[in-house]
Amino acid sequence: MAVGPASVVGPARLAARTARRRGVLEREGVFSWLMLAPGVAFLLAFVAYPFFYGIFLSLQDRRVASPGVFVGLANFVTLAQDPIFWQVTRNTFVYTTVATLLKILGGLAMALVINQHFRGRNLARAFLLLPFIVPTVLSTVAWMWILDPTFSVINWTLLQTGLVTQTFSWLGNATLAMVSIIGVNTWRGVPFYGITLLAGLQTISPDLYEAAAIDGASVTQRFWYITLPVLKPVLIIVTMFSVIFTFSDFQLPYVLTHGGPANATHLFATWAFDIGMSAGQLGMGAAVALAMLPALSLLIVALTLYLRRE
Amino acid sequence: MCTRREFLTTTVTAAGAALSPRWAHAAPKAMTVVRESSFIKPFDDYFAKTLAMEYEKLTGIKIVYEAVSVGGMLTRLTTVAETKSGPEIVGTNLNWPWLFDQSLVDVSDLATEIGRKIGPWHDNVLDAVVVNKKWKALPWGNIGQLEVYRTDWFKEAGVTKFPDTWEDLLAAGRLLKKKGHPFGFELGHGFGDNHGWLYPLLWSHGGREVDKDGRTVLIDSDETAKAVDFCRRFFKETMLEDVLGWTDVNNNKAYFGEQISCTNNASSILVVAKRDFPEIASVTDHSLNPQGPKGRFHIMQAASHAIMTHAPDHAAAKAFLRWLYDDKQLSRWLAAGEAYYAPFLAAYENHPMWNPEPRYLPYKESLKTTRLHGWPGPPSHAMSESVAKYVLVDMFAKACQGESTKNVIATAAAQLKQIYKAK
Repeated sequence: MAVGPASVVGPARLAARTARRRGVLEREGVFSWLMLAPGVAFLLAFVAYPFFYGIFLSLQDRRVASPGVFVGLANFVTLAQDPIFWQVTRNTFVYTTVATLLKILGGLAMALVINQHFRGRNLARAFLLLPFIVPTVLSTVAWMWILDPTFSVINWTLLQTGLVTQTFSWLGNATLAMVSIIGVNTWRGVPFYGITLLAGLQTISPDLYEAAAIDGASVTQRFWYITLPVLKPVLIIVTMFSVIFTFSDFQLPYVLTHGGPANATHLFATWAFDIGMSAGQLGMGAAVALAMLPALSLLIVALTLYLRRE
Repeated sequence: MCTRREFLTTTVTAAGAALSPRWAHAAPKAMTVVRESSFIKPFDDYFAKTLAMEYEKLTGIKIVYEAVSVGGMLTRLTTVAETKSGPEIVGTNLNWPWLFDQSLVDVSDLATEIGRKIGPWHDNVLDAVVVNKKWKALPWGNIGQLEVYRTDWFKEAGVTKFPDTWEDLLAAGRLLKKKGHPFGFELGHGFGDNHGWLYPLLWSHGGREVDKDGRTVLIDSDETAKAVDFCRRFFKETMLEDVLGWTDVNNNKAYFGEQISCTNNASSILVVAKRDFPEIASVTDHSLNPQGPKGRFHIMQAASHAIMTHAPDHAAAKAFLRWLYDDKQLSRWLAAGEAYYAPFLAAYENHPMWNPEPRYLPYKESLKTTRLHGWPGPPSHAMSESVAKYVLVDMFAKACQGESTKNVIATAAAQLKQIYKAK
């Protein structure tokens, strides 16, 4: 057997080396970086790299399976001259704003209700989470049937109850199609708000409510002056997340309408996919996807500053 | 026990051998073929369970079959081409050989050989697969988009023969809608059943998106205006509003739900009807698209096979395709497809595959008048962009929603000028 230098090291020297290594590891600077390293590596590989590659692509005339040619901001200039781009921008803002407002209201109401004590509360909480748990594509396919012009259960119910004499074209009419996808997004997103706000509600000390009640505060006053101010930081965080997800929503509109009718429900993500993958214009597709960035960055910066001030 | 140096040398050599390209003369152990699933299960099964097995028995090369869901093949092809990895043989359609030109192997030798044996190839398919004088894919068959209708309801309305012109179809549609059997032609953002009738409608009125040079946009014309005006009337007088939001599944659902009496679809609708709705199948028939003042047209969806340049052994991939396109195999596989694919080869015009079901014969006949989406423009990247942006579909859909003919044509013209970088 070959005898290497390690085998002649004495036990005292080995112990010293181990102690020295442990000392290095126990330094706060080293240890914290060590702990952070997997997370940082993950972010670099799966967030930073695609993001910067996206920027790189957006500055190129890059056709699928062909080398790209640097074109500077030409893709963005082309987009700015395309009326469909502005229609898509308008659609995305309407979709995000209305869906977010509805989700805030619905989620808050849901949290307030499931924070009360009643029989079967845990079961109710579990059921209310279902829309959020079911995979989006699966639930959207179910919604396809619910909104299907021919087999819509909504239309059938409205007709049977005599509320309408003519059925609605939920996905064929431009306005109703937008209403429909906002409705489905809200249905899916409300549990996220509900459960997060519920966590916030449970941190509020009952003493505060008792003191307010003794002082003669009404239920509404207690909500406005105790519940809402305490919930505000949670509400802002959850809204920030929700806006990002809603703004970049893809699966739901893609499965339900594929951006139709006549682009009435095309959002940035669905349009970027069509241009990048279906048309093979990877550079232009990346430019459409990046067009979301300024609005989202502004929102995130504004909300973060507001949170810091608070 | 080996030393560290010996261990490193052995490991690096072994890893190098595993990662390096295979020797040219060594046949691959397996090859993967990726295709879009065809709606016709026996067709897909015949490939995976019969042909692939036969080839493995014959050569020892395992053929792995990957079926991509309908509408998803272009995305799969993009990832294969961009990552330069994955299946060696891929299914293509429309003008994809032009989009992926640099990633596809020249198969001109094979195409010539096949054309000599069981050809000649139909001329119009050359537009789809021959790129800069090189065959980049071997056409398999056209997935035709024709008229599908209920014979019983048409008879009830007094229409005993399927109308030959768009105007006559409109007249028939009026009668059928009055009887509670509207038409349902897709005007939404699907991938086939919308283009399947809207491009032929435009062409049959003399309208064109772009000229042969691929730079002169022609959409703003009286002929287009006539097609748009017709489409608006056709929609209002024969259809449901829902068609504006339909994707490719909706017209099938509506047809099987007995909500519509006529639509534009591939022959798969009858195959599914025979399997799941035999009563509907017995009163279903197909017809060529109606003709307009400037002729009769159909859309070309040329399903083809191509070899990726990243395939480690091009010769082995070509050998497999040569075997697959031999009449012994081709005949059986086409027959298993129940005429869903109409082959672009002259030898198959009187093939027994057309005998069991005469209702599929119009799909064979339609081959002569099939054109690629942007015809007569070149099958370029711009053509794909126009299709992906639904320029033509939305032009018609907006007119049906109530926008003026002038406005919808102006919008389409502006989009096309940008897409084609018009002069």
